[in-house]
Amino acid sequence: MIDEQAMTLATQTTIEPVELKADGPDRLLIVWSDGRRSVFTWGFLREHCPCAMCRTEAEKPKPLLMVLKPQEAQPPRPLSMEPVGRYAYHITWNDGHTSGIYSFERLLALAQQQDTQKRL
Amino acid sequence: MSTNQPGPSASFGTPPPPKLLSGVKNIIAVASGKGGVGKSTVAVNLAMVLAETGASVGLLDTDIYGPSLPLMMGICERPTGDPRTGLLTPLEKHGLKLMSMGFISDEKTAVIWRGPMVHKMITTFMGQVDWGTLDYLVMDLPPGTGDAQLTITQTAPLTGAVIVTTPQDVSLIDARKGLLMFQQVNVPVLGIVENMSYFVCDECNKRHEIFRHGGGRRASEELGIPFLGEVPLDPRVTLGGDQGAPVVTFAPDSPASQALRDVARNLIVQLEATAAQRIPLPTLNLTGIGK
Repeated sequence: MIDEQAMTLATQTTIEPVELKADGPDRLLIVWSDGRRSVFTWGFLREHCPCAMCRTEAEKPKPLLMVLKPQEAQPPRPLSMEPVGRYAYHITWNDGHTSGIYSFERLLALAQQQDTQKRL
Repeated sequence: MSTNQPGPSASFGTPPPPKLLSGVKNIIAVASGKGGVGKSTVAVNLAMVLAETGASVGLLDTDIYGPSLPLMMGICERPTGDPRTGLLTPLEKHGLKLMSMGFISDEKTAVIWRGPMVHKMITTFMGQVDWGTLDYLVMDLPPGTGDAQLTITQTAPLTGAVIVTTPQDVSLIDARKGLLMFQQVNVPVLGIVENMSYFVCDECNKRHEIFRHGGGRRASEELGIPFLGEVPLDPRVTLGGDQGAPVVTFAPDSPASQALRDVARNLIVQLEATAAQRIPLPTLNLTGIGK
């Protein structure tokens, strides 16, 4: 679940990324305008793609035996990360997926969620 | 979505948004929640006043269903394309570069389109029109918070937005919604303009507050947004608009023109303050990482 409080906080204070950096091959570092630093694995971000298709897919029961196309069997890698307006990022993935828009507030909330999952 | 699942979305992708309007220094969205508050009148006249300062100014009418620019600027030509660049050449009048759906569609034909077509046309206006280098591009938005607004806030590097309202509550309620939309997508709201603020009778010189008065200023104070000014009702605004001559040229000394000049001056101050605070968002090109 996305932390509603974090989403509200980001909206009210207009926290923006001031630096994006690849942290090795698997991770993304975002430095925010309030000094916060968020580190994500690319896999986590791909898994939490906010687009309608991915959200619908995530709700479906998982098949017992999955047959993957070669490009789908690769670990998720981004090709680029570009701003969308002044409120979000758009990531082009190596599996051809491009339609997710990651708002700043969602990224902040996902960072919290990832940290919580790590602690559990 | 699980990263191990077959990706239905892999074939659903859209290309990354192109960099639009890179030659424009300031992009100003003129918006309102409600229709009929005089948003296009304010947009046209603000563009005119900005051009009077010697700046190069464009005006883009993004109201696909109800374009008003052809009438307000007195234009019935169609834009032509440049075969070398493949770009549409904006029409020019009163020193402004202009583009509108009304230049392309017939005046008597209704545009009956779903959202994706509106999105496509607006991105065409932003990306395939030869705007060149501009100091200001004023974008006149349709009313509401729908497809057009979403396309613009996602694809245009907006410097900020101006919210136009009339004084009465029914307009202010919708103006607040428009304002919240811009805040939600991190576009600075440069200020609120109260249009149709009052009327001064020619004969008795008495001031009448036909739609009440002061709602715009109160909303700006409540929401912590600058108040850019109030523009009075003036028949010359309509008269000029219907003849293709915006009031700042049709009746330059009228109270409405003076008020619009004050609004433009306040807007420039806000634009400068906003520009000073803004740094471009970082991007990340990862082609090749992890291969």
